[in-house]
Amino acid sequence: MKGTEQIPERYHSSRGKIQAGQVVSSGTSGSHTPRAAYIHVPFCAHKCGYCDFASLAGSDHLADRYLVALEREMAMRLSEPRPVDTIFIGGGTPTRLDASQLARLLSAVAHWFPLDAGGEWTVEANPGTLDESKVEVLHRGGVNRVSLGAQSFHRPSLKVLERNHDPEDVPKAVDWVRSAFDRWSLDLIFGVPGSTLEHWSNDLEQALALGPDHLSCYGLTFEKGTLLWKQQADGAVHAIDEDVEYAQFAYALDRLASAGLRQYEISNHARPGQECRHNLVYWSNAPYFGVGLGAARFVDRVRAINTRDLMAYLKRVEAGDDPTGPSEQLETDEFARETLMLMLRRTQLGVNRQEFQERTGVSLESVAGESLGRHIQRGNLEDDGQKVWLTRQGIFVADMVLADML
Amino acid sequence: MAIDPKFIRNFSIIAHIDHGKSTLADQLLLQSGAISQREFREQLLDDMDLERERGITIKARAVAINYLLDGQTYELNLIDTPGHVDFHYEVSRSLAACEGAILLVDSTQGVQAQTVANAYAAIGADLTIVPALNKIDMQASRPEEVKDEIEQTLGLDRHEVLAVSGKTGQGVPELFKAIIDRIPAPAGKVDAPLRALIFDSKFDDYQGVVVYCRVVDGTLRTGQKIRLMAGDTEHEVTGLGRFRPHAVACDELSVGQVGYVIANIKLLSEVRIGDTITTAIRPATDALPGYQEPRQVVYCGLFPATHNQFDDLRTALQKLSLNDASFTFEPETSDALGFGFRCGFLGMLHMEIVQQRLERESNLALVQTAPNVTYEILTRQGEVLHVSNPTRIPEPGDIEEFREPIAKVQFIIPADAIGQLMQLCTDRRGIYLKTEYITPTRVILAYELPLAEMIYDLYDKLKSTTRGYGTMDYDLIGYRAADLVRLDVLVAGDKVDALSVVVHRDQAYRRGLRLVKKLKAEIDKHQFEIAIQAAIGSKIVARETISAMRKNVTAKCYGGDITRKRKLLEKQKEGKKRMKQVGNVEISQDAFLSVLDSSEE
Repeated sequence: MKGTEQIPERYHSSRGKIQAGQVVSSGTSGSHTPRAAYIHVPFCAHKCGYCDFASLAGSDHLADRYLVALEREMAMRLSEPRPVDTIFIGGGTPTRLDASQLARLLSAVAHWFPLDAGGEWTVEANPGTLDESKVEVLHRGGVNRVSLGAQSFHRPSLKVLERNHDPEDVPKAVDWVRSAFDRWSLDLIFGVPGSTLEHWSNDLEQALALGPDHLSCYGLTFEKGTLLWKQQADGAVHAIDEDVEYAQFAYALDRLASAGLRQYEISNHARPGQECRHNLVYWSNAPYFGVGLGAARFVDRVRAINTRDLMAYLKRVEAGDDPTGPSEQLETDEFARETLMLMLRRTQLGVNRQEFQERTGVSLESVAGESLGRHIQRGNLEDDGQKVWLTRQGIFVADMVLADML
Repeated sequence: MAIDPKFIRNFSIIAHIDHGKSTLADQLLLQSGAISQREFREQLLDDMDLERERGITIKARAVAINYLLDGQTYELNLIDTPGHVDFHYEVSRSLAACEGAILLVDSTQGVQAQTVANAYAAIGADLTIVPALNKIDMQASRPEEVKDEIEQTLGLDRHEVLAVSGKTGQGVPELFKAIIDRIPAPAGKVDAPLRALIFDSKFDDYQGVVVYCRVVDGTLRTGQKIRLMAGDTEHEVTGLGRFRPHAVACDELSVGQVGYVIANIKLLSEVRIGDTITTAIRPATDALPGYQEPRQVVYCGLFPATHNQFDDLRTALQKLSLNDASFTFEPETSDALGFGFRCGFLGMLHMEIVQQRLERESNLALVQTAPNVTYEILTRQGEVLHVSNPTRIPEPGDIEEFREPIAKVQFIIPADAIGQLMQLCTDRRGIYLKTEYITPTRVILAYELPLAEMIYDLYDKLKSTTRGYGTMDYDLIGYRAADLVRLDVLVAGDKVDALSVVVHRDQAYRRGLRLVKKLKAEIDKHQFEIAIQAAIGSKIVARETISAMRKNVTAKCYGGDITRKRKLLEKQKEGKKRMKQVGNVEISQDAFLSVLDSSEE
């Protein structure tokens, strides 16, 4: 394993250059040691119909055991504390843990992943599970950013999504969060079955009224294996019309831009300087640690995912065994294609030729070839010689553009 | 010393696909001592992967077997025949090299369409038929019923039917005895000028063309200067031999004998199946009867998916034609697809095999146009044209008579499927000929059908209508005038020549509507709206519109799913390789073929 001393000097210096109005790509090309960590907490009050993550309801009695296992996994994988620049605790619902469990989790994470000065530490929270004492625990534990899963303010949409909070819970949770944290974000979902452009614009207005500096707008996807998928297959739920979904997406881009929240990734909007640095690590295809049930990590160009089976995870870790499930060593061309795919999602940074070359060791042209010119000509991409990025038109058909370029 | 012809027997095994022909052939080799138990493995005679996968023997071969009966050694030549309907002519030439045939019927399945077709072909060739039931070791064997069927459909005596198992070898000694006792020895004149029938050939990388022949009159010797009568070429025999089953060289082949000839021939196309070999010095006056030019009945366009691979495709086709002289290809230019080739095949199966082999052996992505038949057109000027490419059909005003090829089709089906199958044939402009009951539950149904209505999916439809139990065989009987028109397709306002099809006027509107609907389903959304129209001449008969793609993006943070997402996108990309860019529109391979799909929604 590589020690922290291998982190090149220039990483630290580049960090100092972050300025308002400038989105900065995370991680450095030369660095093989992750500077980001993801920690997964699978517990939920209820499993939402669309949820495709490793999450489970009704297993809260295993939470203490899980935390012990999590600490053990960190000890096994890391052997020594790894300083990082970003931490993201996601789920599931991390705030489903009670206050003392939460405190224990944070102190373990802080031990194994000491956050460098100026670092970002995000925890996901659900409006229905948050209270003032938990906010206090988060704040004291070192967390400096909270991402709130609001999803919608429209009661019928929350019902379709099977969220078990009410629209009124969101402002309440925001109040608590705002009192303790400068940086916080809201998640919203558009394209919800039965929703209209009007419902969606209302959602956006209610969210904006709370004054967020960061907003994620995800299009609902029907993932195989979820309850929602089954409901659609059975005809109980119908995906909304493509034109309505398009209109909702387009409206969000315009409305949020006018409110000063710039789109910096296909689903993410922020005031300048308020971008989620942890997610920018993913989109620059830099390495990251990942621990916990179903957690993904990308270390030494190996993508690996822990098992999604909670009992298997617990038993393996308790027995001192590795809980890794599928893993894949990326060859140069696969790595380059993934890098292209991810970087192109960054609507402001785009794919910077030099960064791409440094990250992957190959040129952008050798991967994307003639398709670059084709999509520039069709108005899906723009190219200023140094970087290539999606035009507004291209953003709406990004998957098609990518499929063509890979 | 030349063997006395009276101790030679030349025979074929004729059977429906999968009735166990190859296994029985191996069993004959095993019991005669030609191969060891170890070598006795399934499908020994089928030496190409593709054929083994499909269970079809495509290239005929001949194996010489020595068999000792009552103190006398006999030379038994087993001539293998292709089993599929597409290879009628090849079958007929193989049969012409024999005096007898084992008619092998799977005793669990009974008589099938190709059993009947092949049996009639053998009877027509004046062969002695030795009927035998196969797979009698199996539980599901029903010998008495199948004997009824043989008696009923072929008029053969049930008491002459033998019972064997290719797998266990049961009944094989009796079969050997029947071959020797019942099949006549070859008759031919030892002193007459050489006449040998070519019934097959293959290309060998080292030796060039290897010709399989049966000597009828005279003697074939190494060093001899030979003449191919129809081909009108001369060659020197550099090698002679027989397969036992491995090649064993010999100095001569005399009357009645079967073997191979190597004569420094470079191209398979120089050797024509059915031709007669004679000597250059003392040639025979008359060739053996029955020679026909190979007849391609199905045509399609093959185009490289990317423009710059035209030369690669040509090289691949040339290479393939070294091993298969029965398909033809000539350069074709399509406005939509660019440079490619118009290829002719003996039938649908043949087309499929050639295409698969091309892709497998050359690693080319191909776009294939919908298959079509050759039309005969009498022009106003009194000229008769044969057109195998819909785009070459003259303007309606120049056509006096539009004729299409007609096939006589024989189906053998379960009786309860009669209604459905008759409907199927009626929908396809069939003319009913007759129904004949083989047993109370199995029926022969005969129709005359336009070949064009058969080539795309009749076989699949037959199989689905009869739950796999139906079989068919066909024979082309000639051309017949019909009220045909060319239906053109316009995509985004441009005529796509490669999508043109010939249809009957009465069906033109319905086909047009269905066609644009199919294409709408097959062509992906683009970033702009696309009109799809069907037209006869300048008259638009149907229209559909593909709306513009509005949104195609996953707005989701897929932290752990990066690999999965990449693979999904790569799969999409793979599918695009077979797309052809026509104007601004990308059209998939499936779309090109969908124009012939007759199924409703």
